Amino acid sequence: MKDFVKFENVYKRYKMGEVTITAADGVDFSIDEGEFAVVVGLSGAGKTTVLNILGGIDSCDEGRIIVGGKDISHLNKHDLASYRRYDIGFVFQFYNLIPNLTAKENVELATQICRDHLDADKVLDSVGLSQRKNNFPSQLSGGEQQRVSIARALAKKPKLLLCDEPTGALDYNTGKNILKLLQTKCIEDGMTVVLITHNSAITPMANRVIHMRSGKVISNTVNPSPIPVEQIEW
Amino acid sequence: MRKSSLRKNIVREISKNKSRFFSILAIIGISVGFFTGVKSACPSMIETAEQYFRDNKLMDISVVSTVGFDEEDVEEIKKLEFVREVMPTYSMDFIAKDGDIDCVVKVMALSDIEMNIPLLREGRFPESDTECIMDSYYAKLSGKKIGDTVLISPKLNDRDTSEYIKHLEYKVVGLADIPLYLTDGKGNTNIGSGSVNFYIMVKSKEFPLERYTRIFVRTKASDSGLSAFSDEYKGMVKEEKKFFESISDRSISRFNEDTLDKAEKELVKAKKEFADKKEEALEKLSDGEKKLAEGEKEFNEKIAQGEKKLSDGEKELSEGKKKLEEGKAEYSAKIAEGQKKLADAREQYAKGKAEYEKGLFEYDTKIEQAQNKLDNAQKEFDTQYNLFYTVTKPDAEQKLLLVKSGIAVAERGIENIESALRQMKNIGASGDSKGLEERLEGYRKQVEEYQKQYDEGMSQLSEGEKKLNDAKKQLENAKEEFLTQKAQGAEKLNDAKIQLEEAQSKISAGELELQTGINTGLFELQQAQEKINAGEKELSAGKAEFEIQKQEGLKKLQSAREELEKGKQEAETKLSEGEKKLADAEKKVENLKNAKWYIYDRESDNGYTTLLEDAQRVDNIARVFPLFFLIVAVLVCLTAMSRMVEERRTEIGTLKALGYSNADIYAKYILYGGLAGIGGCIVGGILFISTIPNIIVDAYGLLYLLPQTKLVVAWDSYVISSAVAILCICLVAVFACRHDLKLEPATLMRPKAPKPGKRILLEYITPVWRRLNFSSKVTARNLFRYKARFFMTVIGVAGCTALIISGFGLMDSITSIADLQYVEITKYEQVYALSEKGSAQQKAELMAEFRKDDRFAQTMLAYMNRSETSSGGSKKKLDARVVIGEDKESFTKMFVLRDMKTKKPLFLDDDSVIIDERMSDVLKVGKGDTISVEIDDEIYIFTVSGVTENYAGNYIYMTPKCYESVTGKSVEYNAVLATVGENAKNLQHDMANDFMKSDDVVTVSLISEQVEAIMETLNSLNIVVFVMIFCAGLLAVVVLYNLTNINIAERVREIATIKVLGFYSLETANYIYRENMVLTVTGAGAGLFLGNMLTGFIISSIQMNNVLFPSIVQPLSYVWGFLLTLGFSLLVNFIMYFKMNKISMVESLKSIE
Repeated sequence: MKDFVKFENVYKRYKMGEVTITAADGVDFSIDEGEFAVVVGLSGAGKTTVLNILGGIDSCDEGRIIVGGKDISHLNKHDLASYRRYDIGFVFQFYNLIPNLTAKENVELATQICRDHLDADKVLDSVGLSQRKNNFPSQLSGGEQQRVSIARALAKKPKLLLCDEPTGALDYNTGKNILKLLQTKCIEDGMTVVLITHNSAITPMANRVIHMRSGKVISNTVNPSPIPVEQIEW
Repeated sequence: MRKSSLRKNIVREISKNKSRFFSILAIIGISVGFFTGVKSACPSMIETAEQYFRDNKLMDISVVSTVGFDEEDVEEIKKLEFVREVMPTYSMDFIAKDGDIDCVVKVMALSDIEMNIPLLREGRFPESDTECIMDSYYAKLSGKKIGDTVLISPKLNDRDTSEYIKHLEYKVVGLADIPLYLTDGKGNTNIGSGSVNFYIMVKSKEFPLERYTRIFVRTKASDSGLSAFSDEYKGMVKEEKKFFESISDRSISRFNEDTLDKAEKELVKAKKEFADKKEEALEKLSDGEKKLAEGEKEFNEKIAQGEKKLSDGEKELSEGKKKLEEGKAEYSAKIAEGQKKLADAREQYAKGKAEYEKGLFEYDTKIEQAQNKLDNAQKEFDTQYNLFYTVTKPDAEQKLLLVKSGIAVAERGIENIESALRQMKNIGASGDSKGLEERLEGYRKQVEEYQKQYDEGMSQLSEGEKKLNDAKKQLENAKEEFLTQKAQGAEKLNDAKIQLEEAQSKISAGELELQTGINTGLFELQQAQEKINAGEKELSAGKAEFEIQKQEGLKKLQSAREELEKGKQEAETKLSEGEKKLADAEKKVENLKNAKWYIYDRESDNGYTTLLEDAQRVDNIARVFPLFFLIVAVLVCLTAMSRMVEERRTEIGTLKALGYSNADIYAKYILYGGLAGIGGCIVGGILFISTIPNIIVDAYGLLYLLPQTKLVVAWDSYVISSAVAILCICLVAVFACRHDLKLEPATLMRPKAPKPGKRILLEYITPVWRRLNFSSKVTARNLFRYKARFFMTVIGVAGCTALIISGFGLMDSITSIADLQYVEITKYEQVYALSEKGSAQQKAELMAEFRKDDRFAQTMLAYMNRSETSSGGSKKKLDARVVIGEDKESFTKMFVLRDMKTKKPLFLDDDSVIIDERMSDVLKVGKGDTISVEIDDEIYIFTVSGVTENYAGNYIYMTPKCYESVTGKSVEYNAVLATVGENAKNLQHDMANDFMKSDDVVTVSLISEQVEAIMETLNSLNIVVFVMIFCAGLLAVVVLYNLTNINIAERVREIATIKVLGFYSLETANYIYRENMVLTVTGAGAGLFLGNMLTGFIISSIQMNNVLFPSIVQPLSYVWGFLLTLGFSLLVNFIMYFKMNKISMVESLKSIE
C-alpha cells in the first residue's frame, strides 16, 4: 500500500518557559507499506518527536498524520491508547522492560492486552531468545534485552514497528544483530518498520531514507536496492 | 555566600516536590498537634475549674448541723488559726411547683461576705425581697426565663413554709451558677423525691430563722496556692476538718444545756396543760349531748300532733272531693239527657221542616203547572176567540153575505122570471115560458142552495159561538177551581209552617231550658269546687306551716347537733393539734437531743470529684494515642526521605564529586527534614493546640457548669513532642542518606541499577502460581520486590486501622460499663437510705411495708457505708463501699459475685470478704491477703477470700456475721435495696415519693438516674474518641497518600511503558492499585490485630481507681476500622488517579535519569 504512513505539514512546538521550541516544523513525508524506513538526522533534528507523534505517545499541534488510511492526529486519549495497543510496536533505545518481569512475562504484558497476538514463546524463539525466556531483564545482556523489547513489540502484530535508536546503547556487533533482526522481520513478515538513528551509515539497508534537520524533512529518498545489514560497515 | 547554591537547592527541592514536603509536614503536624492538643485538655479543664474556685472564692469546708448554729459557733470557728473567712448563712429545701410537678428547690441566702460568689450568666442580682437568681442549668433544662416566678408550696412536711421563709413567690431576675455545684447534681435532701432539682438564691433576710443553717469556711488551704485538686490540698483540708469536731462537741453540749433542757421542761408543762384542757372539753361535750337528746324528744312529740291534725283535715277534704265528684257525674248525666232530647226534637223539626219544604216545593210546582195550564187554556181560548171573531165569523158572515146576496140575486132573478113569467103569462108567451121556468127553477134551486149554505153557515157560526162560550165557561170554571185549590194548598202549607214555627220555638225553649240547667249545674259545681279548693288551700297551708315548723325544729335540732359536732370536732382538732404540737415538740426535743454537726469539704459536690477523674481520663488517653501516632509518622517520614535520597542519588554523587563534604550533603537532607518537621510542629501547633482542648473541654462543658474555658497549653508536651518529632525526622534523614554517602561518587553517578526482578517463594508453589492470572502474578512479584515499602505501607495502614479501632473500642468499652455494672453485676434499682435514728424494730416494720408493696420485685435490708481501704501491698488508699446484706438469698439476687474470667459464681463466707477486681489491682491484694478498712473512723482488718467482677465503684462485700465478728458491733442497717417489678418500671418516682413520706426513709436514689449521670460523663469521653478517630483518619489519608505517591514516583517509567504498550487509563491504574489495595487490605487486616492489642493497652492505661474499663471491642468496631481504612485508601487512590493520568510518556521515557 502506497503512503501507508503519511505526514502532512505536521507541527509540534514545546513551550519551555518563555522559549518555544519547534520540534516538528511542517513535517511532510510518506512511507509505503512494508518499507524499512530510516529517519536520520542530528540530535535535536526532530526525529524522536516525529516518531513519538507517529507512535501515538505525543500529539501534534498542526497537520495530519494518516496511518493505514486512518487519521490519528486528532484522536482522544482513549483512542490513542487503542491505536498504540493494536497498531503500534515500540522499540526504545533503553529497552524499557519491566524489571520485575521475566523476558516471557514482558512479552506477555503486551500480548495480554491484544485480541490478535502472537504466542509469546514463538516470538521469543524467533528473536533467538529461546533459552532466556525465564530470565529477568537484569539477567540479560543489552542486546538480549533489546531483543525482548523487539519481541514484545512484534508479539502484538502491529501494523507499524517504531524503533527509537534501538542500537544506541549497544555495541557495534550487537547493534548490527538487532538491525539484522529488524530487517529480517521487515522482509520476511512484510512489517513496516520506521527506525530512527543519527547514524547515517546504516541508511543503505533501508527502502526509504528520510533526512531531517531542525524539525524539517530535507529529503525523502527511496532506495530501490537495500543492502543487507551484514554488508554495511560503519 | 558559601554554599548558597546548596541552600537554593534545598528551596528548589521543596518547591519542586511540594506534595512530598507537605505530606511530611502534615504527618508531623497532625502528630504533634494532636498530642499537645489532647495533652492540653486536662490542664485546661483543671485550670478553668481552679480559676473559677479562686475567682468566686469557693469555700473549703462547710458545716451543717441538725440544730443550726448561733453566733457563738461562728465566733468559735473564727478563732481557728487557719480560718480565713467564715460565712454563716441560710439554706433550706422546699417543695416548689413547676407546672403540675412537685420538685425540690434549695433556697440559699445571698451573703454580703464574698464566698461562693455566684457566677451571673444572665440578668442581675436581686434588688427587692421577692427577687431571686436561679440555677442556670435548671433554667436551661426547664425553659425558665428571667421574669418567671418560682412558687414555693405553702406546706413543708405538714408545717407552714412561712416558718422558714418569708415569701412563697420569687421572681427570677438572674441566672447564675455557683462554684458549690460543678454539675447539675445538687445533692440529696430529705423531702420530695429525695434529690434537689434546682436552687435559687434570695436575700439573706428572707429567712426568718433564729439559727444559721449552714456555715461556709474558707481556710488557709485555698489561700496557699495549692491546686484545688491536689492531694496536698485535700490532705490539708482533711487536717483542718478535724478541728471542727471539737468545736462541734462543745457547741452541742452548750446547746443541750441552754436549749434542750428548757425545751424538755416546757414539754412536760405543756403535756400537763393539755391533759387538763382535754378533760374540761370532754365534760362540756357530754352536757351538750344530753341537752340535744331532750330537745329531740320534745320535737318528736310535737311533730306527731301536728301530723294527726293534718291527716284529719285531709280526710274531710277527700270526702268533699268525693261528693263533688258524684255531683259532677249527676250533672253531666242530666245534661246529657237534656241534650239528647233536644237533639231528638231538633231532628224531628228538621224532618218536619224538610217535609214542609218538600210540600212547599210540590205546591209551588203544582200551582205553577196549573197556572201554566190555565194560562195556556186562556191563551188558546183567546186565540180561538180572536180567530173566530176576527177571521172565521167575519169570513163566514162575508160568505153568508155573499150567500145572502146570492139569494137576493137569485130571488131577484126569480122575481124577474116570475115577473117575466107572469108577464109572459101575462103576455102569455108560452113557448119561452118553459125556458124561463127552467131558469126560474135554477134560481130557485140556487136560492135553495144558497139558503142551505147560508143556514149551514149560520148554524156553523152559532155553533162556533156556542163552542166559544162553552170554552169560556170551562175556562172560567177551571180558573175558579184553580183558585180554590191554590187557596187550599196555601192554607195547608201555612198550617204546616205554623206547626214548624211552633216546633222551632219549642226547641228554642228547650235549648234555653237546657242552657239554664247547665249554667245552674255548673255554678253549683263551681261553688262546690271552690269550697274544696279553699279546703285544700287551707290544708296545704296547714301542711306548709307544719313543715316549716318541723323544718325549723329540725334545723334547730340540726344546728344544735352541728354545734355539738363542731364543738366535738373543734375539741378533737384542738386536742389532736395539741397532741401533734406535743408530738412535734417532743420530736423537736428529740431532734435537739441528737444534735449533730456534719462537716463537709469540696468533695461533697460530686462534680468536683468527677471533674478531676474526667480530666485524668482524657490525659490517660493522651498518653498512649499520640505516641502511636508519632511512631507511624516517623515510619512514613522514613519512607518518604529514603525515596527522596534515592531520587537524588546522582545529585549526591555530583555534589560529592564537586567536593562537597558528607556533612554538607547530610545538612541538606537534615535541613529538608528539619524544615518539614519544624513547619509541621508550627502548623500542627496553630491548628490543633487551641482547637482540640476547646473541643474536649466544650464537650465536658455540657456537664460542668464552668466559666469560659481557660486554655492551658501543655507547652512541655508541645516542646517535647516537637523536639522528638524533629529529632526523629533528622535521624530519618541521616539514616536515609547514610547508605548512599558511603558510596563513591562514581558509583552514585551511575544510575542505580533497577532493583532486579526475583522469583518469589510463591512461584515455586507451582499449582498456586499457575492458577494466578498474569496481572496477579505481576502484583504478587511487585509486592515482594519492594519489601521495605511493603512493610512500611502495611505498618502505616495497620497503625491507622488500629488507631481507628481502638477509638471505637474505647467507645465500646465506655458504653458497655453501665450495662455490665448495673444490669449484670448490681441488680438493685432503688436505694432507700434509712434514718440513723430508726430502731431495729422500726426497720423491721418498714421492711414489712416494702414487702407488702407488690411494685417491688425484691427488697433487702442492707448496710452500705463508705470506707477508706488500704493494704500492705500498696500505698494507695481507696474509697470503697462496704456492703452487707441482711438476707443471703436476696443478696444473691441483688449482687452477682463472680470471677472476672471464668464467670464462676463466688460465695461469701462468714470469715472473710470479697472485693472487686479494680480494688484488687490497685491495692495489689488477692485471695488470702488482708485489707484494712476504715469504717466510721475505726480501722478493721479483713481477709479477702475472693475477687469479683465489677466495673464502677469499689465494693467490699461481707456477711453480717463477718462484720460482727470483726468489728464486735452489730450491723446498723442503713438502706433498703430494691428491684422493681416488670410492671412498675415507670412508677419508680411514685414509689420513691410514697416511701419518702416515711420518717425512716431519708433519701431515695434511683439507679437508672445514676446510670444516666454516669453515662453522661462517660459519653463526653466519646468526643475525645471522635477527635481521635478523626485524627487517625487524617493520618491514614496522609500516610496512604505519601506511600502511594512514593510508589508512583518510583514506577513512573514502568507506568509510562505500559501506557506506551497501549494500556488504558483504568488498566494502568489497576496495575498500580492492585498492589495498593493488597497492601491496604493486608495492612488493615494486620490493623485488626494491632487494634485489638492497642485497645487493650489503651484501656489498661486509662483504668481509674474506681472504674474498670472492660476490654471489649464490638465486632462492628473492627468492621468500621477496616472499612474506614479501605475508604481512605480508595479516596487516596482516587486522588492519585489524576496524578497518574498526567504522567507523560514522552518525558518519562526520554532517557534514564
